[in-house]
Amino acid sequence: MKKHHLRKNILALLAAVAVGTGLSISIAAAADLIVARAVDADSLDPDKTSTTQSLQMTNLIFDTMLTMDKNGSLHPGLASEWSVAEDGKTYTFTIRDGVKCHDGSVFDASGAKARIDRAIDPATVNPDRSLWGPITGTSVEGKVLKVSLSEPYSPFLSFLTGIQAGFVCPSAFAGADFKPIGTGPFKFVSWTRNDNLQLEANAEYQNFNPLIENPGKPHIDKLTFKVIPEAVARMAALRSGEADVVEPSLEETTDLKSDSNFKIYAAELSGQQVLAAFSWKIKPLDNPEIRKAIGMAMNRDAYANIAFEGLVNTSNCPVAPKLFATDDELCATWGAEYDPDGAKLIMENAGFTAENPLKIKIIAHKLSGWDQMHQIMQQDLAAINVQAEIETREVASHFDHMTNENERTDGAPFVWTMGMSGVDPDYLNLLWKRPGFVNMGLNEQVDAMLDEQRRLSGDARAAKIHEIEKYLIQNTYTVPLLSPGWNWLMASSAKVEGFKLGFMVSLLFNDVTLKQ
Amino acid sequence: MTSTIQTSVQRRHLPFSVALGLGLAIVIIMASLLSPYLMPFDPMRMAAGPRLTAPSMKYLFGTDEFGRDLFSRVLIGGRLSLGIGITAVVSGLLVGGLVGLFAAFSGRTIETVLLRLIDVLYSFPDTLIALALVAFLGPGIGNATLAIAISLVPFYARVTYGLAAAERAKPYIEAARLARIRSGRLVRVHVMPNITQSLIVMGTLGFSSAILSASGLSFLGLGVQPPSPEWGAILAAGRNYITKAPWILIFPGLAICLTVLSFNLIGDSLRDIVDPRRKGRS
Amino acid sequence: MLFLISKRVLAACGTVIAVIMLSGTLIHLVPGDPVTAMMAQSVSATPEAMAEMRAKLGLDLPIWQQVLLYLGQVLQGDLGTTIRGNESVATLLLQRLPNTFALAVSGLGVALAIGIPLGFLAAVNRGRIADTAVMIVAVLGVSIPAFWLGLIMMQVFSLKLGWLPVAGSSWRNIILPALTLGLTYCALVARMTRSALIEVLNEDYIRTARAKGLREHEVLLVHALRPALISIVTVVGLVFAYLLGGQVIIENVFSWNGIGRLAIQAMLERDYPMIQGFIVVFAISVVIVSMLIDIVYGFLDPRMRHR
Repeated sequence: MKKHHLRKNILALLAAVAVGTGLSISIAAAADLIVARAVDADSLDPDKTSTTQSLQMTNLIFDTMLTMDKNGSLHPGLASEWSVAEDGKTYTFTIRDGVKCHDGSVFDASGAKARIDRAIDPATVNPDRSLWGPITGTSVEGKVLKVSLSEPYSPFLSFLTGIQAGFVCPSAFAGADFKPIGTGPFKFVSWTRNDNLQLEANAEYQNFNPLIENPGKPHIDKLTFKVIPEAVARMAALRSGEADVVEPSLEETTDLKSDSNFKIYAAELSGQQVLAAFSWKIKPLDNPEIRKAIGMAMNRDAYANIAFEGLVNTSNCPVAPKLFATDDELCATWGAEYDPDGAKLIMENAGFTAENPLKIKIIAHKLSGWDQMHQIMQQDLAAINVQAEIETREVASHFDHMTNENERTDGAPFVWTMGMSGVDPDYLNLLWKRPGFVNMGLNEQVDAMLDEQRRLSGDARAAKIHEIEKYLIQNTYTVPLLSPGWNWLMASSAKVEGFKLGFMVSLLFNDVTLKQ
Repeated sequence: MTSTIQTSVQRRHLPFSVALGLGLAIVIIMASLLSPYLMPFDPMRMAAGPRLTAPSMKYLFGTDEFGRDLFSRVLIGGRLSLGIGITAVVSGLLVGGLVGLFAAFSGRTIETVLLRLIDVLYSFPDTLIALALVAFLGPGIGNATLAIAISLVPFYARVTYGLAAAERAKPYIEAARLARIRSGRLVRVHVMPNITQSLIVMGTLGFSSAILSASGLSFLGLGVQPPSPEWGAILAAGRNYITKAPWILIFPGLAICLTVLSFNLIGDSLRDIVDPRRKGRS
Repeated sequence: MLFLISKRVLAACGTVIAVIMLSGTLIHLVPGDPVTAMMAQSVSATPEAMAEMRAKLGLDLPIWQQVLLYLGQVLQGDLGTTIRGNESVATLLLQRLPNTFALAVSGLGVALAIGIPLGFLAAVNRGRIADTAVMIVAVLGVSIPAFWLGLIMMQVFSLKLGWLPVAGSSWRNIILPALTLGLTYCALVARMTRSALIEVLNEDYIRTARAKGLREHEVLLVHALRPALISIVTVVGLVFAYLLGGQVIIENVFSWNGIGRLAIQAMLERDYPMIQGFIVVFAISVVIVSMLIDIVYGFLDPRMRHR
């Protein structure tokens, strides 16, 4: 009797296994896509987060007011038309008819007004508040939304194409708890933090993004994001077919490239720039000569080729390549070239010898490629009598920490690294205007130049931006290192077609189909 | 106590595993101590060889992603890993020992309260205590060592208390008490010498768990930071090469395994005598 | 018996309260000002928000009052909110607790399934090569860093053989992490089984049984193993606690969505309320399990029953 029971159980178990495998086949047959990432979003509210990992998700749920093509020209989005007043202080947007939120409500000009009012409300505590510009008021006349500024802010329109400016529906923030309701290509289904996020295609979607071909509903029905922190496990998931699209490990990307079973995607429009910066308030790094020597010691080619496995490029400007006014060759003439011998000489003249090295910290966040880069950097610095100790944290806590560190005027001097991305060089303003991002603001002169470029447009603005970049580089407040630097690579199995990476490494799934 | 240990070893017939453990431990300790003379390359020098070369006669354990010689790194890493282990064990033993002795000879109320507290902490796995502490203290070799040392305190306090309490029950202590010898002197002169050897035995057991904790912390990025060649840190930094260059993962992993194994083998056969945990938990 | 149970429950409550109070003080280990350390990026850390946080934690109060404040909040089921995301720590932890328990129980099952036969084998061959070999293999298990073993198992079973999935929280996903944990902690079980069995085999009634001419396997399986298993019950709580601890890292390797994942994430992000909440929930789990086991042991062991 007992034995019989056991056999029955085993049969049931086998049946369950069969159902299990059958299930996984049927999942693959439906138009579902599974994407594995290393880090989860920390919020789905675009006004509460500024990490790339979060904005990649919000950008699927929310649309932007305007869109941008590969060449940086503006195109319609939620707004079908827009205009700027002569004085550059008033913007009007005509909101498109018949745009529906995921909950069925209509998205109109008053909805857009409510959304902007929320973004700039101090009570929202929006980390990207300064990117919205000096907005003084919003008003609605029929389909037209009017936004008034206290002074001209030329990057405003490009900001409205970016993933930080997703347009949340008013019903999303009507209650006490935020609900991810937007007008974007995917509807929110469920989210288990640090495990999975489920989205489904928005059947009524109308696309206006010029980077996307599909005019309507995304071809795939369900989109699941899984969080798999271990790169080893993520790669195994891709190889075993458990995931269709993954963030690959840098270490294996070159291997995947030469394997016809997989595809590699690298964002061309990342807008990302990796920088080194200094504790310029602390001796002896208050001396621009010493900072310059440290910059001259940094072997950026090795960072790109060894630490990042040759998958990124060195870059010379404080703003990412391909953004407005960025001229890498021009920046190269301002920055110091790699010259460890010259750098060592400067350090020795300043009294730092092999016996009496300058002791500093390299403060950084953990991230694939970056960790390796800091180790090479440490060795570079050792060659010019700078003894550096590496101190790392997770991305978010790194920036918490830097907020305090950048205020210090004594104690241990440090070099630190960071990455910034955007669709417009105006992010210089976010970073360097006092108090600046994590208190990295510089001085009155820089503040004035940064404000000035916001008021200018066209060539005059480009010239002003070059002036700022020249100032930052020649005084070695920053050493531009690489571009891009994070989340810019994706890998998929060969059956995935039409996957694209947009501006600021946004993930575009609208055109994705699965080849059987 | 010495004789108890000896007879128990004889009784248990485990000399082979003890010998194996001792042999391994001696080789590992000697290799770490002599590492500066044994290393064929500078363990920190990048491009000492081509990147990611498989083990060969020239690069015994292969090279890592920076072209550093892994054999040299694992050798010198032994100093770091063993160093963390020894520092943590000695300080944990010292503090835990004092707490345990104090509990045993401090009078009823303090004894009960202290013992209760020790038992509470003792019910937590030590790796977890270290992890929680590092989360608050911040990463780095110093904080990791401190956290591991603290994580061992409950274990050592409990062990010392057990030994001291057993000793306390012996007639000679009763006699000494009657002779009005003060507690401090009593502990120093009579109790300490009698339990030291057992404590050293327990030290070896704490050592292997300290090494494992350290490698776990490094693996999670909360412990020793790269480019330090601590074994867990090498493993953590090289884990993404598991398919491309598995040797970066295999050799430091083996080093951890063998070290922990050797001390476990030594400690294990001796532990039954002194570990209160096996003497029936109430 | 009833007295024993109530005494055990009372002790468990005391333990939990002590752990809550200890975890309440942990925030003071953070170098510098805890509030500054806790608040998110400067852009969002307004002075008002910082003041609110300071008041919530009672950081201006003397430390014993802070601890009591924390204890009071926790006893009302309030473990605070996370720094990033501002979600209820208690809710997040409780959502994932079932996953963690499922993995711990499966891991324990594997550890018992491997450990008991190994210990049995060692005990009956006491002093012989088989004994030494078995115990060395068992010790090897505890000597392997679990995360290392996990990575290697993943390479072999998921990638090379393609038998088992890599990540996720379905029932097939539990196999690899449970196996990893079981292999790591089976040594504890094997060791305990061995010594318990050896102890029983020295008892008079076993000698009597043998003298009565019972067959050896009957002596071992019927008369010796059963009482030995009862005393193994006592280590189950201990193994369970260690398993839960080791699981923290393993959950991360296998992307298992338990409280260990949550804890490591919080540790890396320095989400202090979450870490404190994790410690409290972990402690309560361990205490409840070991209390239950003690009570079960009380029922199983005839000597205890008559006390």
